[in-house]
Amino acid sequence: MRYSRFVVASKPSFLARWAVRVLLCVIATAGAPAASAAEARLGLRDVAVRLDDGVYELDARLDLDLPAAGRRAVESGLTLRLNYEIVIDRERRYMLDAEVASLEQRYEVNYHALSQRWLVRNLNTGEQSDFGSLETALARISELRGLPILDAALLPPGPVYRGRIRAVLDLSTAPDAFGWLLFWADDWSAESDWKTWTLRP
Amino acid sequence: MDAPTLKRAASAVTMGIGGLLWLAAILFMAQTAQNSEQFSRLHPWILMINIAGLAVLVGLLATKLAQLIRDWRGHVIGSRLKARMVWIFGVLATLPILLVYFFAVQFLSKGIDSWFNVEIRRSLDDALVLSRSALEVRMREHLADSALVADELALMRGTTMPGLLESLRRQVGALELIVATDTGSIIAVSKGLSDDFVPEAVPDEVLLQVRQGQPFVSLEPQQEGGYLIRTAVRVGVSLPGEERLIVQGIFPVAERLGALADTVQAAYKQFGEKDYLRQPLKASFILTLTVVLLLSLLAAWYGAIFTAQRLVQPIQDLVQGTRAVAQGDLDTKLPLTSHDEMGFLVHSFNDMIKRLRRAREESRRAQQAAETERANLAVILARLSTGVISLERDWRVRTANRAASMILGEDIESRVGTEFDTIGADPGGLARQFAESCRQRFSAGATEWREQFAFMAGMSRRILMCACTPLPGEGDAPGGYVLVFDDITVMLQAQREAAWGEVARRLAHEIKNPLTPIRLSAERLRHKLLPAMADPKDVQMLERATETIVQQVEAMKEMVNAFSEYARAPRLEMSAVDLNRMVTEVSDLYRAQGAMRGVKLRVHLDPAIDSVVADPGRLRQLLNNLLTNSVEALEGQGQGSISVTTQRAMRGDTEVVEIAVEDDGPGFQREVIGQVFDPYVTTKAKGTGLGLAIVRKIVEEHGGHVEADNRAGGGARVCIDLPLHDTGTDSNARGRGSYEPRRERA
Repeated sequence: MRYSRFVVASKPSFLARWAVRVLLCVIATAGAPAASAAEARLGLRDVAVRLDDGVYELDARLDLDLPAAGRRAVESGLTLRLNYEIVIDRERRYMLDAEVASLEQRYEVNYHALSQRWLVRNLNTGEQSDFGSLETALARISELRGLPILDAALLPPGPVYRGRIRAVLDLSTAPDAFGWLLFWADDWSAESDWKTWTLRP
Repeated sequence: MDAPTLKRAASAVTMGIGGLLWLAAILFMAQTAQNSEQFSRLHPWILMINIAGLAVLVGLLATKLAQLIRDWRGHVIGSRLKARMVWIFGVLATLPILLVYFFAVQFLSKGIDSWFNVEIRRSLDDALVLSRSALEVRMREHLADSALVADELALMRGTTMPGLLESLRRQVGALELIVATDTGSIIAVSKGLSDDFVPEAVPDEVLLQVRQGQPFVSLEPQQEGGYLIRTAVRVGVSLPGEERLIVQGIFPVAERLGALADTVQAAYKQFGEKDYLRQPLKASFILTLTVVLLLSLLAAWYGAIFTAQRLVQPIQDLVQGTRAVAQGDLDTKLPLTSHDEMGFLVHSFNDMIKRLRRAREESRRAQQAAETERANLAVILARLSTGVISLERDWRVRTANRAASMILGEDIESRVGTEFDTIGADPGGLARQFAESCRQRFSAGATEWREQFAFMAGMSRRILMCACTPLPGEGDAPGGYVLVFDDITVMLQAQREAAWGEVARRLAHEIKNPLTPIRLSAERLRHKLLPAMADPKDVQMLERATETIVQQVEAMKEMVNAFSEYARAPRLEMSAVDLNRMVTEVSDLYRAQGAMRGVKLRVHLDPAIDSVVADPGRLRQLLNNLLTNSVEALEGQGQGSISVTTQRAMRGDTEVVEIAVEDDGPGFQREVIGQVFDPYVTTKAKGTGLGLAIVRKIVEEHGGHVEADNRAGGGARVCIDLPLHDTGTDSNARGRGSYEPRRERA
């Protein structure tokens, strides 16, 4: 059972992206792509945490509705990324909550044109599985079952801890491709709202 | 460091920082476009910074252009030149940039499209199909192998499954064979050499398809590269109540074939990604190019304005400096902003202003010195008793001193700038005569001369000594003339009086002494000879002769006494004299004498006159002489009248007592009227001709003046002004009076 600890990725904030887009809509030439694609719908539900053998494990289900633009992008060869961002904070009365731990569960979905199979790779574990359809592949990554998120020993008893999770869907390319152009092509990318729960060790 | 220098330094630093940021932003954009992973994340920010820079540039440019338009409309100096330069620089920068932009966009668009042409896409599709076909052959073969295994298992049902399965696996060359129920429960497994002895569960997808009665075969790409072929078929026909079995086989794909397939797949995927991003790529490149173009274009225009401003600023400074200098501000100093030709021009301008300032300072000092000299000269001229008139070359009066006005009897000082010929208001006046005489000398061609003029001013004769000197001018032509003149009438009279005084003293000395012996001798002759003479005729002749001698001697004695009196040095004994009383006393003496000759004498006295400071004896002699003169003038006329008037009057700032003696006799002869106060000038049959001369002498001794003239209705009039001194002062007050005796008019 493995889980990774990392810092939240330093990507442009939502506000910055939209600020640039607004500016570009005003200034850009007629050939510039307009942000017109429908956004993906992401919604987390059935979020539950249980203590199993001294480890907190997370169950969650994601309602994922990938728009046609996203499907076209993945079918064209781009990689669909689904990241579950999980953060455990310690509540403080007079200050902002302190972050105790954070982790990210990352999946990639690719279309293998030669085999006409949909490959799902768990980037945390390196496991790869293939599916005959995109829907089955998405169904595979839309469910978290028994995901270990934190060793209970790391949470001293007393304070109240609050966990939160959200899902972020976007695209990536191969390193040698025009990754920076995704800024223009992933208008449908989205992120879900945070779902929270309380831990009382 | 002064404020403008600080401002320039701050501006330069700001522009430098701005320029570096701009260059950095463009370089970042270029790096981004080169697919740098590091800059990919920053792409939105870099783009936003560039757009923000663009907005800043637009704002700056708009501000500058608005300022330029305001300057143009306001006709600010240099604005038109600046606008022309901005226009030329801007157009020169814009045209090539737009040209390059147009072709760059064309090249970009067509170049990117050429990367994704139909042939490449079709080739990749064909390669994919070909690879897929090659693998499908293997898949069909392995599916057939799986069917064979299933048939063998169905035939051999009931035998030892593991051994059979291992045998079949070896036979078909599978990596793994699994016999499981259609619900996924594994019954038997045969696996080749592998680290992982735990078999993977049969995927639901496989179970589902096989349960539907269809064999399953798929090509599964492996994480570490290469492929596996998964097959699944049903094992025989199961009886009712008997579990249905399936067999799943995992077959390897030849390494060479798998590598080739991976290559095709990778190329297809990469092409697909790039093809999908083709439009964003074009748009991004064009947008980047457009942003760079706009930044360059706006920077070029801003640079054009900045350069034009830098070029025009010295010219504006020069024009403003020239205007300031034209308005007399020589403290102007232009800032030296460069060391090129324009800087040399500014330096020369500053040097010129410096020299002008120095010259003006020297001129001001010289002018000040000249003004001081002129003021001194004016004071000297004002205090001079000699008249000085300077003339322009065209005969207009340049300057005149107070003495000139007093001598000529006209206010010449106020006639500066007028024609010299018209300085006298009275055509027959002294000033006009003087001007005409001078003009005659000039008309004769004389520019430097000295002349004595004699003029008739009213009834008086005036003698002026005048000298003319040309003033230095340009070249040989004189710059003007200066006339220096003096009234020498008094001086000549004084000379004459001195001469006559000398004559009188000699007469008194040479003649008076022998007169007494002559008279005594005549009386002795008469006394000795008369008794001895018998003849009455001789007696009568002797008496008549001696009587004549005695009478003539007496007459000569009187004449000599008169001479002596005239020549006598003045020894005045000044005291307060009741003038009206003295006039009354003297008049009374002559009233009786005149009554015998039919002459009436009237006295008009001013009661406001209390007393005058004078020598009473000399004053009485003065009145006697005047009245004697008048009585003698009326002698033989039968009827006549004499009028004596005293009056208090003002002569300038001085209060005087006027004594006027008038008669209705024949008056003064016109030819001698100017010389009636000279000794021995008389028109009477008898008299010494010294009466009026003595009168004038007495008047002058008292600081007064005397005029003689003929009355309009006939007769003579002699008018005397005596200064009315304070009677409380002593006899020396005469010399302290402010009265300035007027020039003789007689």
